[in-house]
Amino acid sequence: MIKETRIHTSQRHWVLIATALLLSCDPLVNQFKPVEEAVIYTAKHQQAPPNNIDKITVMTWNIRFAAGRRTPWFGDSCGDRVILSEKEILSTLEGLAAKINDIKPDILLLQEVDVESKRSGYIDQVQWLLDHTYFSYGAYASIWQAQYIPSDGLGRMNMGNAILSRWKIVEAERIQLPQRGDQDALTKYFYLRRNILKTRIALPGVDSFYVVNTHAEAFSTDDTKKRQIERLENELSKLAGAYIIFGGDFNLLPPGSDSTDFCMEDKCSGESFHRAKDNPQHKEGSNYTPEMNWLRGLYDRYFCSVPMKDYLIDQPRHFTHATDPNATWDRKIDYLFTNHRWLPNTSVTHQDITDLSDHVPVSAQWEVPR
Amino acid sequence: MISSCASRWATAVLLSFLLCTAATGGEARQDAGQTWSSGTAYTLPVGRMEVGIFQPLRYGLSTSLEFSIHPLVTFLMPNLSVKWSHRSFNGFQVSTNHSLYYPTPLLRTVAREGTGGLISPEFRIPNMVAINTEVLASKFIAKDQVLTGKLGLALAAKSATLDRRTTIDLPLIFPRMNVFYHGYSLRGGTNLQGRMFRRWHYRADAEIFITPKAEENFAFEQLGLLLWQKSARFQFCFGYKLVYGEYPFGSQWHLLAPLVDLQWGWRVK
Repeated sequence: MIKETRIHTSQRHWVLIATALLLSCDPLVNQFKPVEEAVIYTAKHQQAPPNNIDKITVMTWNIRFAAGRRTPWFGDSCGDRVILSEKEILSTLEGLAAKINDIKPDILLLQEVDVESKRSGYIDQVQWLLDHTYFSYGAYASIWQAQYIPSDGLGRMNMGNAILSRWKIVEAERIQLPQRGDQDALTKYFYLRRNILKTRIALPGVDSFYVVNTHAEAFSTDDTKKRQIERLENELSKLAGAYIIFGGDFNLLPPGSDSTDFCMEDKCSGESFHRAKDNPQHKEGSNYTPEMNWLRGLYDRYFCSVPMKDYLIDQPRHFTHATDPNATWDRKIDYLFTNHRWLPNTSVTHQDITDLSDHVPVSAQWEVPR
Repeated sequence: MISSCASRWATAVLLSFLLCTAATGGEARQDAGQTWSSGTAYTLPVGRMEVGIFQPLRYGLSTSLEFSIHPLVTFLMPNLSVKWSHRSFNGFQVSTNHSLYYPTPLLRTVAREGTGGLISPEFRIPNMVAINTEVLASKFIAKDQVLTGKLGLALAAKSATLDRRTTIDLPLIFPRMNVFYHGYSLRGGTNLQGRMFRRWHYRADAEIFITPKAEENFAFEQLGLLLWQKSARFQFCFGYKLVYGEYPFGSQWHLLAPLVDLQWGWRVK
């Protein structure tokens, strides 16, 4: 989850003017078209993919721009770190690559991947991961791309969703999701532009195979996430007849979850919620109660790698995220879905990976249709 | 503690200062027999003062000395420049320009949380000072047309290590701050300016910055300006600046336009 940079209306008009003057012929923040081509990557050393396959392993992982879980980054935890060193980032990237090489997914959906951002040592993390794993192909769609964010020293920023694959990615589209409706225009200008990354992958023996990755809004207090999920469903419905795997960080809990309000778990020192005098009553992004049915449509129409009944039997076993770096995982917000078939009992929520991100990966084996 | 208002002001001033200092070369100058000038080896006439919205305040102290300061930033970045006009060699007027500035208070002001934070507040900005010395040589190559060449060396000293992650990776700013990370940097360039017709003048300027010890060690800036000189008391200018620079993330071109300024001049009795 990435909190909005603290650009407040009363303080920022001059910043916009001065910085716009400085960069006057180049947009400060990339606006993106409603639909545009995603960025395609290839690994420095390509490896021949397997041809005769009856199942593939798919995994989704929000990697928190390789900041690691313990780094108290100011935007998504109760910390004051902003710009990490190249050494810190490389150390986490090496850990991420080691785990990926160990679990060995055939297709990997990543969220919060940085590409040449100041906060992460200007490393192109998509290319780095391609070059340090066995994947040969990648696609990337930026969520937050700015020449300069004049706040907190953030500077140059490019963060987004990526899909890595052993097989060639033959099409890749970046589809814009609705932006937050609870922000003023200027905050919205500098804020994240969530997207759907839709790829068509040349899986041997499967004519039309799509992998779709998304990262829904984290801190909205209105119906933004609902509109984003509806947009995702709409895009999926256009792929009738194709085999689809989709997933990512939806920032939503499964319907029927026992715990739906995490304000107390997520609050920082000096913050107070839920008391009569508190304003706001809830911490942004921590109260899922009004959103509990927004994923029901996906559960009804598609197959989740962790079926609803399995989740409801033992919820903690499937938790994927926590904001407190010292807490145990306390909620499930990361998902894999398909319109085909997950192999039974192959879904794993890798809760043993405790230090590499504030999310754990979720993997599952998918039956290749014959 | 520096107030939020002061920090906002400081950041705006820093950007404006760098944009416009870069746009004008930051030196005072004087065409022979013309009051309006910039970027040459000539000094202002004795008692003449000139200032622009984004220009330094310049004052001709004697026939060979000119002082200038940037009044907008002087409280947050104390600065002073002295241009010393020497003798002519083969028709070239030769001057040296010596400037001193102390950017620490300004940088500490923009190392802050929230809006206007150009540097992360997690880093400490040490005391730093820089001295620029530049040699300028100018010659009239035709009626009302002046060609200038310049070569400079900047040296910087600081009281403690400056973390590399404090760089402000923006055009104009990055190459000028590089000296604080590497101790010295070089700059050089040419300037051609003159009258086109009636009150219309032009100025074309090219400048390179080299910081030999840096990985990102090169920047190039090219300025084009049209100037309308109403009188000895007022002129208006507009134009563009094309910038190529190497930054920690790679190299990039920027076109900064339009550049606009209003300038005034008068004689101090």
